[in-house]
Amino acid sequence: MIVMGIESTAHTFGVGIVDNGKVLADVRSRYIPKKGGILPREVAEYFSSVAGSSVREALASAGIGIKEVNAIGIALGPGMGPQLRIGASVARVISAKYGIPLVPVNHAVAHIEIGRYVTELKDPVVLYVSGGNTIITTYVEGRYRVFGETLDIALGNLLDTFARDVGIGPPYIIDGNHVVDVCAESGKYIKGFPYVVKGQDVSLSGLLTAAENYARNGKELSDICYTLREVSFSSVAEVTERCIAHTNKKELLLTGGVAANKVLNKKLEVLSSERGIDYRPVPFRYAGDNGVMIALTAWFEFQSGITIRPEDAYIEQRWRLDEVEIPWYYLMGQGS
Amino acid sequence: MVLFDGSRILKGIEGFDLIKKGAESEIRLGTFLGEKAIYKVRLRKAYMHHYLDSELRYSRTKKEARIMMSIKEKGINAPLVYAVYPSIGLIVMEYIGAPSLKDLLSSNSEKVLGYFYEVGVLLSRLHSMGIVHGDFTTSNVLIKGGEIFLIDFGLSEFSSKIEDRAMDLHLFRRAILSTHPSAFERGFHVFLDAYASHAKEADEVIKRSQEIELRGRYVELRRRSKWNMHSL
Repeated sequence: MIVMGIESTAHTFGVGIVDNGKVLADVRSRYIPKKGGILPREVAEYFSSVAGSSVREALASAGIGIKEVNAIGIALGPGMGPQLRIGASVARVISAKYGIPLVPVNHAVAHIEIGRYVTELKDPVVLYVSGGNTIITTYVEGRYRVFGETLDIALGNLLDTFARDVGIGPPYIIDGNHVVDVCAESGKYIKGFPYVVKGQDVSLSGLLTAAENYARNGKELSDICYTLREVSFSSVAEVTERCIAHTNKKELLLTGGVAANKVLNKKLEVLSSERGIDYRPVPFRYAGDNGVMIALTAWFEFQSGITIRPEDAYIEQRWRLDEVEIPWYYLMGQGS
Repeated sequence: MVLFDGSRILKGIEGFDLIKKGAESEIRLGTFLGEKAIYKVRLRKAYMHHYLDSELRYSRTKKEARIMMSIKEKGINAPLVYAVYPSIGLIVMEYIGAPSLKDLLSSNSEKVLGYFYEVGVLLSRLHSMGIVHGDFTTSNVLIKGGEIFLIDFGLSEFSSKIEDRAMDLHLFRRAILSTHPSAFERGFHVFLDAYASHAKEADEVIKRSQEIELRGRYVELRRRSKWNMHSL
């Protein structure tokens, strides 16, 4: 069964094609702002300029025609409206024109599912960290339940915003390393940064403010970067550990754009070996947004009978992870 | 002269039975002056910077013991504190020996729903003393012979802030929703009704807890059902 997946929730327009779980195509176009953050309308314009050619390129690299595609997965949310609309329009048009079933995919679910599929973890606690998300979740009674999350800004957002404010980014990632990581290399720990864990949630905005104040007052930037990273990663690791202890699960999956971060990986490795559980991060290739994860998730959904009519396929900017039923959860565990 | 040898104390309790490994501490069952006692040790977290780690362990241990002693005085059931050693993250306390609300919910959901009312009343009393629990989940509520004991005050604060009190409601809601979704509809509402009718400024606290839920990203603002589910 051949499934195409279209991703357009944030900065990447991606088209992936999988055939029974085997990746046939993975085309991505990433919008990189020259300065500042992401302006949704600018990205949407960029997406519409690359959409058609991305689909054609994906089909060509898979060596198939559009009529051989059995289902089209579309990430309807969560994400930014203008970008979501581009992907949704493309998917609806293809679906309607060629009579190919359309499958609605939640972007957060897709990040988890590709991680679970590729790492072969069956029933993990999941830490999902990206520019816009910091969520600790695991499957309980049919859905991914949110055990903890950030009460304000996301981990990726914290690092990017700080980098931007002190003028070391964008670009935020250079040779696979975040600029805050690079800056932190020779840094030392500064006492007194706010460490805010409330139950199983973290709050990171106070930390950002504190770091900015230190920077404004001329404190050594490498020390601030080091401490900012140390405190934020530690608090996220701690709430992850709380979820593991609370649910007693034996596996930990790290997924999402920040999953490629070496320091965060190291912390979770240490945490997992102390607790005697199996830790696996999503491979670097699938950490960031991509169309393959949408295609893969759509493949499992389609096998569970989930489709949507093109005329009903509205975007959902705030589509929450724990709203989605996961009837295929154990199907994936069986291996395919 | 060595006045205090933490490592010797920690070594001494290694022989006690490990009954639970929590997120941040090991719980061992031993004896203290002839009584059964719980030894709660906050362990070093190797994934944290050592300064941050020891700062957190010290302050949480000290605060936890202070708050336990304080609420016990005011008549809320909590383990009696026997001894505290903040520098090694150790609290020695009374052994309760009872299942948690979480344990009971997993085994016998129907009967247990009755306890939610009592838990709501108890939380309102805790809040009226100017204390918030900070990690108010079903794991931290023990039921012993129909009486409710609160444990694990590691994230507690002396606070009367609406925000902090609302956080307790939010955490409890989240705990039920994430671990026992099927008990949510009835259980949480019984709890909330009890809290609402006993707590000071209950309306404000409940309203704030709803705002906290909306602060989480991508909150479902309205119910939608548009997927076609059919078996192939």
